[in-house]
Amino acid sequence: MNSSLALDLEKTSRTANGGIVVLLGLFALAGNFISFYFHFGTVAFLLLVLLNTYWRHFQSSHTLLANFGFLAQFRYLAESVGPEFRQYLFSSDTEERPFNRNERAEVYRKSKGIDSSSAFGTLLSYDPEEAKIRHSFYPTDKQRLEKFDVAVGAARGLETTYHINRPIMISAMSYGALGENTVRSLARGAKLAGIPMNTGEGGYPKYHLMENCDLIFQLGTAKFGVRNEEGYLDDQKLADLAAKDQIKMIEIKLSQGAKPGKGGLLPKEKITKEIAELRGVPQDKDVLSPAHHLECVDAKTTVEFLARVQKVGGLPTGMKFCLGRDDEFRELVQEMKRQKTLPDFITVDGGEGGTGAAPKSFMDDLGMPLFEALPLVHQILSEEGVRAQIVLFASGKLISPGKQIKAMSLGADVAYSARGFLLSLGCIQALQCNKNSCPVGITTHEPHLQKGLNIEDKSKRVANYVDALHHEFDELLAATGAASASSLTTKNIYFSNANQSVAANN
Amino acid sequence: MKTTLPTRLAQVVAASILIFASVMKFKGDPGAIEIFTKLEMEPGGRYIAAIFEMLAGLLLLSSFAAFGSVLAIGMMAGALIAHATRLGLEVNNDGGALVGQLAIVLLSSLFVAISRRKEIPIIGSSF
Ligand SMILES: Cc1cc2nc3c(=O)[nH]c(=O)nc-3n(C[C@H](O)[C@H](O)[C@H](O)COP(=O)(O)O)c2cc1C
Repeated sequence: MNSSLALDLEKTSRTANGGIVVLLGLFALAGNFISFYFHFGTVAFLLLVLLNTYWRHFQSSHTLLANFGFLAQFRYLAESVGPEFRQYLFSSDTEERPFNRNERAEVYRKSKGIDSSSAFGTLLSYDPEEAKIRHSFYPTDKQRLEKFDVAVGAARGLETTYHINRPIMISAMSYGALGENTVRSLARGAKLAGIPMNTGEGGYPKYHLMENCDLIFQLGTAKFGVRNEEGYLDDQKLADLAAKDQIKMIEIKLSQGAKPGKGGLLPKEKITKEIAELRGVPQDKDVLSPAHHLECVDAKTTVEFLARVQKVGGLPTGMKFCLGRDDEFRELVQEMKRQKTLPDFITVDGGEGGTGAAPKSFMDDLGMPLFEALPLVHQILSEEGVRAQIVLFASGKLISPGKQIKAMSLGADVAYSARGFLLSLGCIQALQCNKNSCPVGITTHEPHLQKGLNIEDKSKRVANYVDALHHEFDELLAATGAASASSLTTKNIYFSNANQSVAANN
Repeated sequence: MKTTLPTRLAQVVAASILIFASVMKFKGDPGAIEIFTKLEMEPGGRYIAAIFEMLAGLLLLSSFAAFGSVLAIGMMAGALIAHATRLGLEVNNDGGALVGQLAIVLLSSLFVAISRRKEIPIIGSSF
């Protein structure tokens, strides 16, 4: 239903934008030849056409207006009278999924640099099943808060050790899933904010490199960008990429939360000539990545592969997965110890994670949720005695500072987000990332839809979002009485009785 | 929003000309009647224009000045069309005084509309 509605919007808006010009002409003629009274219409349409021209061609802070013209105003209109309608008819501010209106509005405000204090009380159903942060009687004084600093690769004494100085990073999203302007806006924003950005599994990061931000190169199961013809790793290509200044870390993707146990998927609608080239694939077929790295068929070969990538790349190297079976994970960790090869970081992606395209059943029915998986991973690493050598990244709807603090209380060292950053660019959650028809130009390659996404403007929103998040993060951290994020523990989080099991696991 | 003195000044200038013109039209000033006869809108069009001008003028003096300015711009655009297509620059040998007045109202209303654009509901947030 959603998609047909949006397709209509595109066609309708084109008709409407042309239609008002035609009407203007008709009224002008009628005013001239029939009766001067028609010029009331001429004037009305003249103003509308002028305004519409401005929206479409001379501004870039409102993507929908730039892409669709005056019809997009109806969305803003609907938004402004929405609360009254919704209260009686439709879903409420906290009902939409994956992110409800309140959560999104908060990101929009942060990225636009608008004050986001609110009054009177929480709009959440403050239900006992949700985890909450525990505050202390003795909050930390601001000046005693330590600078956020997580060193990746330090445990191995790497020269290339990378320091992360902000609590949030941009999680993997490929060029392919995202359009060129999106990639460049995010990359420029990352540069402004001083955070690293993950390239996703889209192959050679051409557009990322343009903006000169720090990059985490993702080695997907299809190894786009660094594969040989059979789909195995080409050491030389990886070494060449890793030698680039901007590439700071390598992330081997085992799986992701939205489709664990299944490889990446790029629908053919979204494969342009350039993407086919950057990935080295045909243009007329969906690109399906294998479900696992061809090299990795069990714990032993997986760790061997990790060792190889660490050696070839010479960079801090880790792996990303969504947890399925904890016994398998423990076995993997034991194998790492046996081979004396530890990843420099592990990214735990919650089953609630996002994607550009995935089968619905994989999204809905597979993968442990982040707040269940994270403590387990943390616990297993601790029990195996290697927790201190491995940095833990976490992703899965961590779009607010509160959720980030909770994740860190459960074991994470740094938070990762993908969709939070799309929202900061103006994502309206139209749920069409798999269609090439994203109305705000984020997950599409259509030039006329990307037009509204001005890189300079949007990159500032990305940086604003990070700044505002970090500021609030520090305030929350101070409230817990901790001096640094690394000292957060499960003591800092509260679960209702229903969820005690998670806390007890720790 | 903070309004500056120039904005307020522009409001007063535009409003006084508009209200004066409106009163003349209501009173049936011969000049106005002649114009609307040429436009074949006498007397209905004259009253409609007078009502709109009065409304625009009063709004410009109220806290809804943003609305008033948009309405005034519309009225002046219509008047411009009239001068361009039927009346010519000079009306009743006034040496272009009417067109000059029109230009003053148009420019000051534009100035008001631009500086108060954020106050226009719904579309205001798009600037
Ligand atoms: C449009 C889009 C594309 C993505 N592409 C990749 C990808 O190429 N590789 C990957 O490991 N994860 C990918 N992800 C998953 C994210 O990196 C992240 O793990 C997940 O969305 C959870 O974070 P979030 O809830 O903050 O979005 C993608 C997500 C989105 C929304």
